Amino acid sequence: MNKFSFLYLTTCYLLASIFTLNNNIDISHQIIGSLFLITLFGIPHGAIDNVILKSEVKISNLKFYTLYVSCIIIYIIAWFISPIISFYIFLLISSYHFGESQLANYKISNNNKKIVYLLWGISLMSTLFYYNEVELINLFSSFNDTEILNSLFYFNFFKIVFYVSNFLTLLSLLFLLFKNQIKASMFKSELFQLFLLHITFYLFPVIISFTLYFVFLHSLKVLSQEFNYLNILYKKLSVSKFIIMLTPHTLLSLAFLAVFIYLSQKNIVNISILLLTIIGISVITLPHSIVMTKFYEKFK
Amino acid sequence: MLLNVVQSIAPDNYVAFTFFIGYIAMLAASVFFFVERNSVSDKWKMSLLVSGLITGIAAVHYYYMRDYNLVTGDSPTFFRYVDWILTVPLMCVEFYLLTKLAGATKSLLWKLIFASTWMLVCGYIGEAFNVDGTTSHSVTWGVLSTLGYLYILHSVWMGEVAGLADSSGSEVVKKGVRYLAWFVLVGWAIYPVGYMCMDGGWLNGIFEASTLDIWYNIADAINKIGFGLVVYTIAISESKKELAK
Repeated sequence: MNKFSFLYLTTCYLLASIFTLNNNIDISHQIIGSLFLITLFGIPHGAIDNVILKSEVKISNLKFYTLYVSCIIIYIIAWFISPIISFYIFLLISSYHFGESQLANYKISNNNKKIVYLLWGISLMSTLFYYNEVELINLFSSFNDTEILNSLFYFNFFKIVFYVSNFLTLLSLLFLLFKNQIKASMFKSELFQLFLLHITFYLFPVIISFTLYFVFLHSLKVLSQEFNYLNILYKKLSVSKFIIMLTPHTLLSLAFLAVFIYLSQKNIVNISILLLTIIGISVITLPHSIVMTKFYEKFK
Repeated sequence: MLLNVVQSIAPDNYVAFTFFIGYIAMLAASVFFFVERNSVSDKWKMSLLVSGLITGIAAVHYYYMRDYNLVTGDSPTFFRYVDWILTVPLMCVEFYLLTKLAGATKSLLWKLIFASTWMLVCGYIGEAFNVDGTTSHSVTWGVLSTLGYLYILHSVWMGEVAGLADSSGSEVVKKGVRYLAWFVLVGWAIYPVGYMCMDGGWLNGIFEASTLDIWYNIADAINKIGFGLVVYTIAISESKKELAK
């Protein structure tokens, strides 16, 4: 267990107490709490993509921002052309990105690592959907433009994905163990974390479940990896300086988010707040995950 | 009176059966640890003595708990907590003894004992003094109790105990402490889960009281005997190393 799992576990115990007292946490409080944590840790973890990429490859600011924003614009256009395909692409990109950040510390051979990352991420996402199917269907059904995303649940497709991906993830971890690419202690740690994710995704509502994972096991971990990397690169980096580095793009993202929420609320943009959130997250996930893949190539 | 009556266990009474099995297993483990004290070097004798005491104290309690359960049909909450309040701090003593050679101080020992006692006393107040099954009472004492648990968890995984094990210079001690930390993380997790299953708890209704007793009995046996066996393995390996020098 690392410090992120410890924080995750501590928050789970705290949430269990809150659920005991209130039986439930209403959806608006869930969203407020989640947004608070995501703003504090989730958005900042992608706020220094420019610094990370520039430390890996020679690229000018102009070129970086042009490429980054182009990625975002292309993906926004894709959402307008085909929301369904864009949604599935988003799930696949996120899965790979989550798997990569989870397992990048291990020395997995180049032949296997991409598939293992993807499997781990798909098992995570499908587990989240599997235990919260009804809640997600209700959520997607609450707006006209997100109803189409319920296609995910047709023909029990995701249930098959859940069983197959979890089985294959387990199998691939065992394979890595026998091939000495991960130590026994790492294997146990991964197994425990998967178990913990299953338990929490089963017990808590979908928004809380995802936020718990995204904040404590993903964003904080990536922030820590980024800090350690830059600490070596800049010889010595203080936490306050790191926070200052994170601030501009975090504020910029929040400003864009606020503008889009305003436009949606005022019906100037005819997209529901839920779809807007999904699109917003997906379009920043794409360039971020490309940068992080570059980052993890050197990260060991 | 209770002890003068020979109690028979119905074939389908799994609760009493696990109390009985628990009692025998703990007793056997105690005998094993006490006898094996002679197989280890002097500095590990204390560790095995403590292991034997943990399972020995539990064996006596399991003997009483089996009878109590057979006569009353109730869950022996009081005896269980008396058992835990004596044995859990002793498990914390094991952490101190294992890392003593790496420089563990008395203050670490007292911190661990205090945290474990705090955890159990708060848990007992939350469970035994909640006659009406009030949720706020259960949650308040549950949260307070969990603080003690989290302190121990932090200490053995990434705090003082983990640091001392890393600096001990012995792979066996390092590995052993990590195994014991797994017991604290996974094995001890049954207790807060069990707490949440009681009246007023979040998971109330998931398990019946009797089923919970079975889980507690199995977990107790694994945690206490397993804990002792890990300590025994470390003691044997380190003693062999010392002998070879």
